[in-house]
Formats: sequence, C-alpha cells, structure tokens
Amino acid sequence: MRVAVIGGGPGGYVAALKAAQLGAQVTVIEKSEVGGTCLNRGCIPTKTLIASAEILHKLKSLADYGLELNGSVSPNLSKMMERKDKVVAIQVKGIKGLFKSWGVNLSQGKGTLLSAGRIEVEKEDGTRDTVEADSIIIATGSRPARIPTFPFDGEKILSSDEAVTIKEIPKSLLIVGAGVIGSEFACLFSEFGTEVTMVEVQDRALSTEDGEVSELLEREFKKKGVKLFTGASVTRVEAREDGMHSFLSDGKELVTEKILVSVGRSFNTENMGLESLGIQKGKKGEIIVNEKMETNVEGVYAIGDVAGGMLLAHKASREGIVAASNACGKEARMDYSVVPAAIFTSPEIASVGLREHQAVEKGSSFRKGSFLYRALGKAHAMGEITGFFKIIADAGSDRIIGAHIVGPHASDLIHEVAVAMRTGLKVRDIAETIHAHPTLSEGLLEACEDVHGEAIHVQKK
Amino acid sequence: MNPENLKYHKEHTWVKVSGKRATIGITDHAQEALGDIVYIDLPDADTPVEANSELAEIESTKATSSVISPVGGTVIEVNEELAESPEIINEEPYGKGWVAVLEMDDESELDELMDSTEYERYLEEEAK
Repeated sequence: MRVAVIGGGPGGYVAALKAAQLGAQVTVIEKSEVGGTCLNRGCIPTKTLIASAEILHKLKSLADYGLELNGSVSPNLSKMMERKDKVVAIQVKGIKGLFKSWGVNLSQGKGTLLSAGRIEVEKEDGTRDTVEADSIIIATGSRPARIPTFPFDGEKILSSDEAVTIKEIPKSLLIVGAGVIGSEFACLFSEFGTEVTMVEVQDRALSTEDGEVSELLEREFKKKGVKLFTGASVTRVEAREDGMHSFLSDGKELVTEKILVSVGRSFNTENMGLESLGIQKGKKGEIIVNEKMETNVEGVYAIGDVAGGMLLAHKASREGIVAASNACGKEARMDYSVVPAAIFTSPEIASVGLREHQAVEKGSSFRKGSFLYRALGKAHAMGEITGFFKIIADAGSDRIIGAHIVGPHASDLIHEVAVAMRTGLKVRDIAETIHAHPTLSEGLLEACEDVHGEAIHVQKK
Repeated sequence: MNPENLKYHKEHTWVKVSGKRATIGITDHAQEALGDIVYIDLPDADTPVEANSELAEIESTKATSSVISPVGGTVIEVNEELAESPEIINEEPYGKGWVAVLEMDDESELDELMDSTEYERYLEEEAK
C-alpha cells in the first residue's frame, strides 16, 4: 500500500505516521516546513511568546508574592523571537525524526494532483518529480483570509503570519476581529505594553463561545486597557504620517501604528489539480468529505482545515488518523461530538460540547452548574483567582452536554469533562469522584455538584 | 452603623441625594459580605441606568456581583479612584468608596427605598 500525503501540518504528518504504522509506504509532500501553520506560524509560536508574556505579568505583581526585584525587567522581542524559533526548530526536528524512524519519505515541494494516483511535485529549484500512490490524503490547510479592505504589506498591516515574526513591539495596534486569534494577540501585545484596540463585527468577543465566557473575557480586556468596539467593522484604512487611520462603520476613526487583521482563514485548495479530478468543493472552498474523510473521488481523502469544519490542529490530527486508517484498509469514522478547544488568552479559555445558547436553541432540557476559581484555595495560593467552571448537563440523563472553563490551566482541565462526555458519564460520576486537594480540578468537582445544587463551598442561596 | 442621611436598596446599595444628583455606593454589609474587593467595572459617563438594574460590577476575592442601582438616571460622574484602588470600598463604603453619581430621572423612585432603621431591620430579617 502506497499513501501520499499533501501537506505536513498537524493533519498531514499525523496521517503519514499513522499510515506508516499500519504498514504503508508513505510520502509526505510539503512545500515549506513540516508542522504546518500550527507549528511554524500558529499554535506553537504564539504559545511560546505567551509564555514570556505570562512571566512578565507575574513579575509585575512580584510584591503580591512577597518577592523583591533588585533591577528591572523588560521585554526584549528579538530574544523572545530567538527562543520561539528554537522551540519551533525542536518540534520540526522532532517530526522529521519520527518520519525517519517510521520510514516516511519527505518530498519537499508543491504538490499538484495529476490523477487519483499521481502527484506532481514542483521543487524549489524548479525541477519536477512524480509521486505515485494508491491513496492520496490532501492536508494543505488554510491561510489568513486577506480581504481587499486591507492592503497587507506585512509591515503596517499584518496577518497572524507576520504577527509572529514582528520585529518590534508596536506602540499601538488595531486588531480587526475579536475571535480566537485576535483575542490571543490582544492579550499578548497588551502585556508587552502595546495600546490595543479591537473591532469586532459581532456583538461580542469570541462570539462562538458561551456568552458567559465572552462576558468574562471582555471584562478582562477592560482590566488590561484593551478597548473593544463590537458591532462595527473597518470600512477603509489610510496610511498617513501619524499612523494607520481606520474608519469604522459606526463613524469612528482610529489611529494606530499597525493593524492586525484576524477575520478568518481561507482554504488552500487552489492550483493543485482538484478541479481536473472533479473533487467536489463546498461554498467556502472547502473540500467535501464523508465521515471516513473520503472525497467524492475514490482513493482521495481530505483532512484538516481544507475539509472545513472546526479549524483546529487536533481535529485535523484525528481526521488524519481516520483517513490513514481507511486508506490502509482499517475502517474508521470521524466522531465530532466531543472536540475540546482551547483559547490561550489571559486567562485561558477551554470548552467542549454545547454552549448554553446552543442548548437553548436545541430545545434540550438542561441543568447547569458553575463554580468560581476565586472560591478555590489553590487559586488563591497561586494568586490567580479570575475565572469559572461551567457545566451544562441533560436534565433527564444527567449526562454532560457542554463544559466551559475560563481561568488558569483551563486548557488542561477541560479533558476530564471530554472523557466523561465521550464515555457517557453522568454529572454525579464526576461529583462523586474524590478530587485531590488543593487543585484547580476541585472547581470542576464543585461545578458538577452545583448542577444538583449540592456544591459544598458556596454560600447558602 | 449605616448613616441616617442615606436611602437604602434591598440589594445593599445606598444613595445620597442632593437635588437631582444621586451619589451611589454599596453598604457596609455588602462590602463585608464580599470580602476584599479586587476590581470594579465602572460604568461610562452618560450611560443611562434604570432603577433596580446593574450599575457596576464588583469582583472580590470571594465573588463577583452586581452593584444594583437604587434609582434610575444618567451617569454623570464615576469614582475613578476605584479603578486603581478598589479596596477603598472596603475601607470607606459610605465615604471615599462611592461608586457613581447619577442625575435622577424620577425622584419618586426614592420613596421605594429604605431609611437606615428600615435597612437595619431588613438585615436582621435576612440573617434569620
């Protein structure tokens, strides 16, 4: 069995390794660097920079922790970028090492589908190569959407790609779009001293999250001095001597040093031969697949961002495993019912399952429970008390249908609920499981108890 | 105890009236119940606020809760000092810890409120 994977991001490289583990002869075609957006321009670079921001944040409150600093601390962006490059390099090397260990062949270049069994690889030096395969997995990912309102130059008007390679900390920054990417960058840059303003067309930041999550994040933005204008869009920008002038739909005019546009992502599905093979695409340009990740053309699979749906690295990875399994004759299907997601704002946000408004829309009869970080001894000991745990459960079955955590380590804490949801555990199963003290996990326990009005550490209502 | 020249709302806020100006804050009981206040989300000037609705939001080490406006009107002043030092509310809930000043829409709303004796009786009832 020969499997070719176009694109070596978190979807493609995982698919390649899985196929190799199942005994296939695998080739990955990658035009830039393995690891894709996530590793080279997304998740990992931003989390590396956020780690610096978090330390800086803690240092600002040293006195609260009974510590004295003799000297001063200031962000050195070029050093931070060096560290980020090092972290990325280690990960890239790690993937290449895994490829080598499992015998995955890496073909550097741009892949174009010639048929359902042949791919042409255009190398950087202009030479061409052909890869033949029994199955092809398309995992070409996405890129920041570029809308004509913003003449991107990578200097004054940035996408997230350029924001992670920026040379200097801007004095002021307008972030267009208060979604996941925009909100993460808002927290990051404001920590480094940038005066951040955000414009969001929806009526709240993180409009796809639970309403209470947005509410808390918006309050945190206020505390950080991040200005957020919702229900507005940027209609025109103009570069002038004193900075970038942005004109908003509500008549406001904002002047900032730079603009970061984070209004969504476009699928990398052009100029790669999809049309000549007759591979069906959806309205947004995403490749249409079934739950086995098969396209309408036999032997051709699509996974990750190009397959539409949630733009998440771990969703891509799972789809990669499903596609690789099917390609190797081991039937597998995708199950999207439990996909946790994390947002690395400050504080962190994590969610799985339904938001409350979705539960209402579905007409499900549900109960909810919540608990505040500030009611946890551990949170006080850590000096980080902002945040909450929220559990939404089916009133009849007592099964969890959604969970939302905002606060330190939310991204790690969410998985207890993910496991519970996937295995159909009841709220009581978590509530009756002893949780170690003192931990943040106790917050989940109490939120589950609160679903039945039985939380111990709450005042009598 | 609770000053006699103020009017009190059952959500543990107070109002001091001078003409159409209503200065609003939270009561000593409220600050005591909240514990150490770490943040207050103040309203912007010119914001219209209805009686019995949220005027500001307070975060303490124990809870987050709404400051309920005892009267309706338009915010004409906020206590900017609280942004930097919200603990002033704990220290002087009836003095330097005031939250905002409204220009009242309807002075008859004051009739709905309690005087200090009534408020103290209300606290005793609540404690039962």
